[in-house]
Amino acid sequence: MDKSVIVCRCEEISYEEIEEVITQGGRTFDDIKRITRCGMGACQSKICSKLVAEVIHKQTELSMEQIYPPRFRMPISPVSLEALATDSQQFSTVKSVLDEIELTDGKVK
Amino acid sequence: MKADVLIIGAGPAGLTAAYEVAKTGLCVLIIDEHQQAGGQLWQQSQILALPDIFPNMRGFELAQFLVERLEGLAVEWLLGHRVIGVYEDGQIGVTNDKDVFPVFAEKIIIATGAAENAIPFPKWTLPGVMTIGAAQSVVNRDRVKPGSSAVIYGDNSFASDVCELLLSVEVNIVAIVKQNKQLGNSTFGDMNIPLYENSSIIEARGNGKLEEIDIQTPHGMITLKPDIVLIDGGQSPILDIVYQLDCALRYQAELGGWLPVYNHQLQTSKDHVYVTGNATGVSNHSALILTGMLAAASVCEALQSLPPEETEVVRNSLYSKLENEEESDTFSARKEHIKQFSTPQLKDQFIS
Repeated sequence: MDKSVIVCRCEEISYEEIEEVITQGGRTFDDIKRITRCGMGACQSKICSKLVAEVIHKQTELSMEQIYPPRFRMPISPVSLEALATDSQQFSTVKSVLDEIELTDGKVK
Repeated sequence: MKADVLIIGAGPAGLTAAYEVAKTGLCVLIIDEHQQAGGQLWQQSQILALPDIFPNMRGFELAQFLVERLEGLAVEWLLGHRVIGVYEDGQIGVTNDKDVFPVFAEKIIIATGAAENAIPFPKWTLPGVMTIGAAQSVVNRDRVKPGSSAVIYGDNSFASDVCELLLSVEVNIVAIVKQNKQLGNSTFGDMNIPLYENSSIIEARGNGKLEEIDIQTPHGMITLKPDIVLIDGGQSPILDIVYQLDCALRYQAELGGWLPVYNHQLQTSKDHVYVTGNATGVSNHSALILTGMLAAASVCEALQSLPPEETEVVRNSLYSKLENEEESDTFSARKEHIKQFSTPQLKDQFIS
């Protein structure tokens, strides 16, 4: 593949930039995401996740089933902060969004 | 908001499941991000192969049929709404882009379908390069001619329907480029469209829009000057909501890649979450309808609106129909996927 090819359209990340992260030891979609912003744009990796997995597969010994899909965190598609910060008194979306599941004594809290 | 059964996705599988669940007296809530229920069916003008319980119909006719069939049943709609995630207490967060609110349901049926895959090449981001599904929706939904001369790039069977559609709106198809050589005769022969097998697009060029492409063929490089390239890279199940629901996943190449593990009941690793349609593996229209009915039967059984003995009979008959109407490779992959239910490759993704 030509190194200039854009793999992530939203953030304009090229094949070369992804290859560079793999050379440095990146082995998952999320490794590449954290270093390049690949998959962090408007489509939230819907277009590039499979393309990136194919690049990792070609460059490493990993098979496709060893390359996990990206972690889909809430909110899973772009939503304005105004909508997210609902003024409902019954429940708070903002607090929930900022909560991550934690383990207490080996069990999900 | 509350419902007995929440269905996420109002395409053919979701609408079929909604009907089968609602007619047993359960209360159904359907969410879809579009303002109109029917999903991709609205842009499908080809005649679909459907299970024998349906007459032959075109995609948009099936959409209309499936929506009208729900009239008078206990079905509530949240059209133009998106799921943004799952809260700690299991409620589903939904937004209409003005507000966010939680929805609670006893059972959830995921009918989120599949998305088209891309095939990248240098300058594939130029205007004029789009997926084949996008071209179909531009013609049939937006009533716009996407270009005047097209090259189709990919290996999927669905290209022939779109070829006919494009020719009918006077888009000239300059060539079909396939990366793999496929067995048997190509249908494109009848339409006199040049077919390049074992070939790939090496580069696109153009200033602000697509102007020409280089194609590497087994007989050397050729240059064509289409104004659109339609990428047909197959489809993969959409994962975001099943991932948020913490459903365990497995990779099954023949079904489109990563997808949630499910059992014979189409129940995922989360007891209250079921899957249907292309979310259970990319297949044909018959499979969308039949898996819609399968998931619905299992949900009704779990909520005791159908007796277990009756459900088992219904399920067996649906599976035998599915075996007849789905490609045999897809059905075998599905059986294998069900067998591997208890050995997912990715689980507990929110505990790190």
